[in-house]
Amino acid sequence: MSETRELDFAEAIREAIRQEMARDQTVFVLGEDVGKFGGIFGCTKGLQEEFGESRVRDTPISEAAIVGTAVGAAITGMHPIAEIEFMDFIGCAMDQVFNQMAKIRYMFGGSMKVPVVLRTPCGSRYPVASGAAQHSQSLEAWFMHVPGLKIATPATPYDAKGLLINAIRGEDPVLFVEHKLLYYARRIARLRESYPALIGKVPEESYVIPFGKAEIKRPGEDITVVATMMMVHKSLRVAEELSTKGIEMEIIDPRTLVPLDKQTIIESVKKTGRVAVVSEDTKTAGVAAEIAAIVMEEAFDYLDAPVKRVSALDLPIPYAPVLESTVVPQERHITEAVLEALGEKQ
Amino acid sequence: MELGRQELLLMYRNMLRIRRFEEKLAEEWAQGNIPGLIHLYVGQEAVAVGACSTLRRDDYVTSTHRGHGHCIAKGGDIRKMMAELYAKETGYCKGRGGSMHIAAPDIGIVGCSGIAGAGIPIAVGVGLSINLRKTDQVCVSFFGDGSSNTGAFHEGMNMAALWQLPIVYVLENNLYAISVPVSKATRLTNIADRSAAYGMSHAVADGMDVLSVYEAVSNAVARARRGEGPTLVECKTYRFRGHFEGDPKKGETYRTKQEMDEWEKRDPILGLRGKLIKERKATEAELDPINQEVAQEIDNAVVYAKQSPAPKPEHVASYVFVS
Amino acid sequence: MVTLVHLKKMTWTMEEGLITKWLKNEGETAVEGEGICEVETEKTTDEVEAPASGTVLRIVYKEGTSVPVNAVIAVIGSPDEDISFIPELSKPTLPVATPLPTQKAEPVHGPVPVPEPSTKQIGISPSARRLAREHGVAITKIRGTGPGGRIVADDILRAAEKLEAGPPAGEYKATFLAGHRKVIADRLSLSARTAVHVPITMEVDMTSSCKLKTEKEKAGHQISHNDIIIKATAMALEEFPQVNAMLIGQELRTMQEVNVGVAVGSGDNLLVPVIRNANRLSLTEISQSAKNLIERARNQMLTTKEMSRGTFTVSNLGMYDVDLFAPVINPPETAILGVGRIALKPIVQEDSITIRQMMTLTLVFDHRVIDGVLGAKFLQRIKQHLEAPEKLAA
Repeated sequence: MSETRELDFAEAIREAIRQEMARDQTVFVLGEDVGKFGGIFGCTKGLQEEFGESRVRDTPISEAAIVGTAVGAAITGMHPIAEIEFMDFIGCAMDQVFNQMAKIRYMFGGSMKVPVVLRTPCGSRYPVASGAAQHSQSLEAWFMHVPGLKIATPATPYDAKGLLINAIRGEDPVLFVEHKLLYYARRIARLRESYPALIGKVPEESYVIPFGKAEIKRPGEDITVVATMMMVHKSLRVAEELSTKGIEMEIIDPRTLVPLDKQTIIESVKKTGRVAVVSEDTKTAGVAAEIAAIVMEEAFDYLDAPVKRVSALDLPIPYAPVLESTVVPQERHITEAVLEALGEKQ
Repeated sequence: MELGRQELLLMYRNMLRIRRFEEKLAEEWAQGNIPGLIHLYVGQEAVAVGACSTLRRDDYVTSTHRGHGHCIAKGGDIRKMMAELYAKETGYCKGRGGSMHIAAPDIGIVGCSGIAGAGIPIAVGVGLSINLRKTDQVCVSFFGDGSSNTGAFHEGMNMAALWQLPIVYVLENNLYAISVPVSKATRLTNIADRSAAYGMSHAVADGMDVLSVYEAVSNAVARARRGEGPTLVECKTYRFRGHFEGDPKKGETYRTKQEMDEWEKRDPILGLRGKLIKERKATEAELDPINQEVAQEIDNAVVYAKQSPAPKPEHVASYVFVS
Repeated sequence: MVTLVHLKKMTWTMEEGLITKWLKNEGETAVEGEGICEVETEKTTDEVEAPASGTVLRIVYKEGTSVPVNAVIAVIGSPDEDISFIPELSKPTLPVATPLPTQKAEPVHGPVPVPEPSTKQIGISPSARRLAREHGVAITKIRGTGPGGRIVADDILRAAEKLEAGPPAGEYKATFLAGHRKVIADRLSLSARTAVHVPITMEVDMTSSCKLKTEKEKAGHQISHNDIIIKATAMALEEFPQVNAMLIGQELRTMQEVNVGVAVGSGDNLLVPVIRNANRLSLTEISQSAKNLIERARNQMLTTKEMSRGTFTVSNLGMYDVDLFAPVINPPETAILGVGRIALKPIVQEDSITIRQMMTLTLVFDHRVIDGVLGAKFLQRIKQHLEAPEKLAA
């Protein structure tokens, strides 16, 4: 067993990219500010120095061309890791993502593959910084809706490295969504203290985490809580608090939304009879809506209460922190939902 | 295009207002009083002021994430701007928009967008509206060198030219899109050369000289008002601070100290001040009080912002739809 | 000395009374025998009298409150007397009347139609519903502890524990009462517990009806004795609408349609397909309808619709040599007819003994809503129709 040391989220991602670039010459990185600057959030720091400008290249502000370039390279033997600097910008590249990247393999009868990894940061940075309406969104639900795209949503450094290596080695297009608040653990003590799992042990060697395999981040008997990304950490915090009141939350991190590990979720629901799905995206037609529908379909007879969804209000993310914390789910929203599902008074 | 003394003094004042506003914000941000990320315009004041001095109140402006300068130059209320940055209910966007999303439709500022290039096609719409309504208004659309590489730029420019719309596209080439230098983003030296590809006129101005900008933009505005179509005006400029507040060493990780120092020598405010004094259009004694007044104005705005109420959570869902 | 004033039972069926008006206020005096409040029951309005003279010290329920029989509604005594010790005065709670479940069978796809009691009025989680099925717990008896009174899994598991306690001695083979069997068990025991079953029997001379059957058969119409009995019953129900009635909770509904249910054994199950508007069908039509329904019942192909909206049931065990039997009323109906076998028997007519085809009918009626005379007259009418079946054949 090799050494493990503690890495934060950005470090784990960087290590995954670095190890894969060292192993496979066809792997290269492109995006805005990924080269010299090392990525707006530091995820590619030092990589251009190590691998050169050709393999770690800065691009103009041209999202459609960034994704298009990645697609073109992927279908002709390369393994690009493209970055959309903020998930909010993915709209500028939409056609290349959902019409090209996702559909080429199917449309061409399986004769081609599109091994693109499209990395992009999502989410609100409350309470650290206010990104406002166009820099804080979580849009993964849009892409769950597009057949042909895999989606990874790691919550911890360990998961990030293993999933990213798997994504890079895999032959399918992957949208690799990184919640941006997860990058800040080393810099902000308050975050580290509130959410200790933001920094964790990561093996030095390369390893792979399979897609479609959820992880039970915390076992419990009383309620199944399915949570993604930053919401995993908030749920863990709520779980600690409610444990002192005799309520044990079972927290399931799907880790990948496509493919989704339904089995783990359903087995848990059969055990607990109650479910809360916690996702930072907006409620209507969001990730939680899809998971709730699956639970209803496949575990109907085991539900002792309606499935609760904890999601953002259907609003653009406001700039003012006092409003943002109302819109984006916080610990108190998770607590409320869990207690309601259990039929407990607060 | 001879400008009178009063007009020149006003330009001086407005550039100072932008400068003090931005510097004050940097201070406040460093103290943790501003909740969001801010992108400051320090060094580029000549472009905003030179361009907006050519405009009427009823002319339009689209702006960017680095838009405080444009908004102030177009006549924005400093207190309402400061309040917006402080996320207060009295801000231009009632605390909902923040630094990158200021809008003041009553003075023609139809919005700042955080998405690079988003304003370019929107300006097309504004221009089209002017034509359909048959007024002689004009729209100035500010954007940076980075945005000139987006698909939106291409589509917007093409349509503006095609329909001969009353738009002046002011391209602020400050040589960097966050950390990516222009040399790594395009082969062109003058991005304005692209206008030929669209059948559009262009001009190149010294973005550190407010009068150079003024001349180029006022020509373009006059053409637009005459119905002769859009112009791409590239202003060569530089931001003295980082891309955002918190950018390590004010952007020195991707720029050289030497380059930064060179450009700071061409400070537009000092430039105009020097010119006014040299041409005996104003004295130090006339200019200094302006500095003080501006400082006071900004300080008052901070007090106003700090004392203003925060938005109420129970109204979080307001302003999504009209009905 | 303190005297408690109880709400007395004013009518035979009274379970509760609505206090409509207090004739005395607290502090006023009353004389023994004087009316102190007015109470309305489903049948009458009456006064509650003061059982003793004295001051009205406490009025326990305000006007407009429905109160169960025997509840303490007021206290009379000397002025300033201490009444704090009286237990009946501390927060009395009124029981909630639970309505009888309305019969609503589920749509049938497959072998056995399984009508479940409707749970529309009872909130119940899917998990609880499943557990109730698995443990054989009757949902209608459970009080839910979930939000809004929803029945949740724990409620079922607790009830199941109680059911499963107390193992019978010795070796045995167990099947749980589940599905249809369970429903029958529940409904019949409910009927037995709540309805007041009174059986009355009559012997009927079926000779003429038998002749009618033979004649019809000669004319090419195959009819059964039961068809004739159904027709006769339907006509009698038309004439005696009080027997064509359903008791839902406290509400007695006199139904406008005469829908006669015919009890049919099908495998392990008892099914009751319904002949709608039997009073308006001809004998031949009844015969066709009954044949069709009975065959479908035997092949377990009945739909919910075919088993719903019955207003009266006819149960015939004659083919199994039963002479006479008193069936259990099929709730929420208010009466049922049990039919025994037709056999040649000697009877006395005028002064001589003659041999006739005789059959015993048993009408079991619910004495809460049907009295003896009515029941008897109704059964008599059926007998009359059967003994002079010309009208039936029309």
